[in-house]
Amino acid sequence: MLGRPERDARTGRRADHEVFDAPRPARVRRPAVTAVPRLSLRRRVALALGAGSLLITSALSFATWTLATDYLLRQREQAGARQAEVNARLVDQSLRQGAQGLEELLTGLTTGPDSTVLLFRPGGVLTSGRQVDPGVLPRSLVALGREGTAAKQRLRVEGVPVLAVTLPITAAEGAYVELVPLVQLDRTFRFLSAVMVLGVLVSGLLGVGLGVWTGRRALRPLTEFTRAASRVAGGDLSARLPPQTDPDLTHLATTFNATAEALERRVLRDARFAGDVSHELRSPLTTMVNAVQVLRRRRADLPGAAGKALDLLTGEVDRFARMVVDLLEISRADQRADGSEAEPIDLAELVRNVLAARPGSTTPLEAEPAWVLGDRRRLDRVVSNLLDNADRHAGGAIRVGVLRRDGRVRLEVDDAGPGVPPELRERVFQRFDRGARAGSRGADTGSGLGLALVAQHVQRHGGTTGVEPRPGGGARFFVELPETPR
Amino acid sequence: MRRVGEDRADMDHSVLLVEDDENIRQALGLALEDEGFRVTGAVSGEQALRVLAGDGFDVVLLDLTLPGVDGLEVCRTLRARGDLPIIIVTARADTPDVIAGLEAGADDYVSKPLVAGELAARIRALLRRRGTGHQGEVLRVGDLEIHRDVGTVHRAGQEVHLTRTEFRLLVELAAAAGRIVTREQLLQRVWGYDYFGDTRLLDVHVRRLRRKVEPNPDDPVLVVTVRGAGYRIGVDR
Repeated sequence: MLGRPERDARTGRRADHEVFDAPRPARVRRPAVTAVPRLSLRRRVALALGAGSLLITSALSFATWTLATDYLLRQREQAGARQAEVNARLVDQSLRQGAQGLEELLTGLTTGPDSTVLLFRPGGVLTSGRQVDPGVLPRSLVALGREGTAAKQRLRVEGVPVLAVTLPITAAEGAYVELVPLVQLDRTFRFLSAVMVLGVLVSGLLGVGLGVWTGRRALRPLTEFTRAASRVAGGDLSARLPPQTDPDLTHLATTFNATAEALERRVLRDARFAGDVSHELRSPLTTMVNAVQVLRRRRADLPGAAGKALDLLTGEVDRFARMVVDLLEISRADQRADGSEAEPIDLAELVRNVLAARPGSTTPLEAEPAWVLGDRRRLDRVVSNLLDNADRHAGGAIRVGVLRRDGRVRLEVDDAGPGVPPELRERVFQRFDRGARAGSRGADTGSGLGLALVAQHVQRHGGTTGVEPRPGGGARFFVELPETPR
Repeated sequence: MRRVGEDRADMDHSVLLVEDDENIRQALGLALEDEGFRVTGAVSGEQALRVLAGDGFDVVLLDLTLPGVDGLEVCRTLRARGDLPIIIVTARADTPDVIAGLEAGADDYVSKPLVAGELAARIRALLRRRGTGHQGEVLRVGDLEIHRDVGTVHRAGQEVHLTRTEFRLLVELAAAAGRIVTREQLLQRVWGYDYFGDTRLLDVHVRRLRRKVEPNPDDPVLVVTVRGAGYRIGVDR
């Protein structure tokens, strides 16, 4: 999960290492059908913390709720019951004294618009306060009062939560019932429960948030690690992990950096090796090319097989020399050490000069002034290598073009040869790939590095190289470089 | 193909080949003799300086990596003695060695593996006679008087010592009378290069020339750079 976006970030690998990264391990594909989608560690941590927090706060809330509601209810019930007892005694007294002013008394006893007082007497029911149908009261409750037992019960009467308290009226063999409203308490309970549910939810969310944050924080070094590792995989061998302060991570970082460094050293050493070999070959090669030149002048003195052998020898020594020179140029590990600076160059003029210096060249040039920022020596090399390539594989260039197109300068070298099949169009720019083109291995095959050098030099200039079919047959090798204002 | 001894005129020219590798010295010597030069070998810087103390050489071919007194030191010493043409031989064309050698006074450079045929062309270009103009022809640039026929430059009656290559470079620029001379033209006319992309050779020589003829080399008014094109003589100044 972690490294997934980075896994394809293989662009921008450096050409220096191109030759060494050929045996790239096949990419491991995930099975198409995964049975259970595994959650990432970060998500698991978040969920666990969220669930834990939810559990703890809900337990706490539940306990608080139970204790608080129980206590409040008991308080209210006791208060209601006491009040009802006092009231019942008053009613009892009033009945004993002859029931005058009973109505007024009952009205006076009701404490609010929601409270109701009912007086059950053998003759009927006397109601005061909020009018309630006596039939809604549980028969058993009224019966208890009549039988001389005080009782209380919580009820919902016509939508209003009440506490019904029943008391015996000894004077009239009746029952006094008072309905104490619990609306206020109910509202309080509702509010309390809302607060608690909300609290539980918020704490759950906070838990998840904390989990996400912790997870990210804990995994940040791992993210850095992934990034560095994928940079290395992409060819940037200079990628390193920053020094870690966490003792748990120091070892990982140190090991990673040591590995990357060893790898970089090794790749550089390999790259340098080709350069060193070519370098060492220069001295014997100088002797050889000059000795061969002396022999070549005396070719006429060597008839028959010896002369033929001499021809072969001189041809190969020349090729060998070219190869060593090209190899040196392409394998330079530190390409910035040659002291050359980029300068504005008119590519058209440069191409004209190169063409003019080629013996017997009649290739037409279609060019407009086009300025690029570059290194003259390398661009010269690019142009002449492309021309050499056309000579070698396609009987010579038939047109060279220098055009300006959308801020790019495009150099085209056209030939009327067999063309380059699509599957080889990238390969021809790789080192020593000349064998890939059918029928091209004649007596003069070049160093096998010409087009690779073109690609490398052009890349250094921030440009691109390619080959496409020429309209009308043959191949068109092109180079595109960023244009620079004159 | 060239015939042996075609350039008999070059037999008058004598080359000192300073190279510590025995095989290279022999092979290159043979090939250069085929090109028509008289070749003498020297194995070290000390020997080269000893041999060159006497007269008799027209050009020195100097390997930069020598045991003992190294090539750069030999180059500087020779330049201090006079304007004997020096071609340095470097291991690689792309190292700071080239610049160092040219700054030390070399006229040209070649890199290994060097081929005698190519080298002969370089030597011939260097040995072209110094005086080229008509008799008594004088070019004037600022307060400089260039006597083309005898190959001398004077500033206010005082002779300015230029090497042969520096002189030819100055003449090429002065003869254009303020028009731009491209790098390619200069490389071709002064050094005999048909096709050559490396302009460090030219840049260093321009620098050396400026040090000798400009009133203030950091702010050149005589040898003016035209960015991206070449150089011209600042005649108006």
